[in-house]
Amino acid sequence: MKNSILPVLSFLISVLAISCNSNKSTDSGEIKNPDIQQKDTTAPTENADVMNMLYPLPDISPMDMCYFPVDYTKLKMTNAISTPPLARVIYSRPHLQGRQLFDGIIKYGEAWRLGANESTEIDLYHDATIQGKKIKSGRYVLYCIPESKQWTIIFNTNTDTWGLRPDSTKDIARFIIPVNQIKPKLEYFTMVFSETSKGADLIMAWENTEARLPFEF
Amino acid sequence: MKKILFLNGLILLSLLSINAQNNTLPSVDKSPMDMSYYPSNYPVLKIQDKLTEALVARVIYSRPQKAGRTIFGGLVKYGEVWRLGANEATEIEFFRNVRMGGKKIFKGRYTLYAIPTENTWTIILNKETDTWGSFKYNSKKDVVQVSVPVQRSENVAEYLSMYFEKSTAGFNLTIIWENTKVQLPISF
Repeated sequence: MKNSILPVLSFLISVLAISCNSNKSTDSGEIKNPDIQQKDTTAPTENADVMNMLYPLPDISPMDMCYFPVDYTKLKMTNAISTPPLARVIYSRPHLQGRQLFDGIIKYGEAWRLGANESTEIDLYHDATIQGKKIKSGRYVLYCIPESKQWTIIFNTNTDTWGLRPDSTKDIARFIIPVNQIKPKLEYFTMVFSETSKGADLIMAWENTEARLPFEF
Repeated sequence: MKKILFLNGLILLSLLSINAQNNTLPSVDKSPMDMSYYPSNYPVLKIQDKLTEALVARVIYSRPQKAGRTIFGGLVKYGEVWRLGANEATEIEFFRNVRMGGKKIFKGRYTLYAIPTENTWTIILNKETDTWGSFKYNSKKDVVQVSVPVQRSENVAEYLSMYFEKSTAGFNLTIIWENTKVQLPISF
């Protein structure tokens, strides 16, 4: 009898651990109080016993980067490319953890940081053209105003910041792009370049939604 | 009980990773990327309007885990060039000119490598950016090499950690993993 309830018990504990995590997670919403940002960047609790708490723990929403040309760093390592890179995005990857994306984590019509933690950054190593508008090489913050059928993607010059405190006076360009439905559901927010005939699309995808920002180089 | 909990943990972990991999798009890295700024916490201070110093430096690196392995002298061999991270090469960017190892370093992006030995590390600042690991390390592209002493800590750091700390002459890049700590002095 005692043995038969053990698996049930341990499963319940596990479920509890997961729900605790999702309660704690504020990783994709606006940061409520930056003084408690450690909450925003703390690893899941199940690792706590093997961690040393004195040193910074990995973020719940891990950072990642993507290059265009796609996989540029690996191409460079294998001497398969000798030209400089054209673009790079550095962003953090929140995950659903059972939550609904729209109108849950993200609200239609409200500015969204396109990531988590540090502001999402695009580095253009070369001038680019998007929908006929030239964007000069440089570092920018990227953010988004999502609607059900289209997203507005905004380039802003207020770099090296946290989350999103939109300062529209520093917006330099806005682009409206359509939204596509994707399957299966994507747990982690994902940004990646995909080569096109004129340059590359920056794919932004999460849950069942995907949008593509077309770059010409 | 312990065994069942462990098994349950394994099942949960595998469920989580299935979730993360149900698409052809990139899954989440085992060694997550992170960044640190000097002044420390610059992005948070910026949104709080608490900045007292201009932006100086940023390091972007990936954080491998110890995962029960012997790191220094084991996984990371003494006397060999090490990538000081994982995945994409570790990048340091200076937003103004600084000094390191008695040399003027112009603002810009660089790749960091290290050659660890038991008691000292050589930290290498190299001009070849946007690359992967240390597989293509070319000493001809070095800007400066700085020798720093190894400090021991009693606490074991599971994840490689890199962050900046203020010093009397400027600031240090502190690197900690396992029970090894080194500090790279940078001045203005």
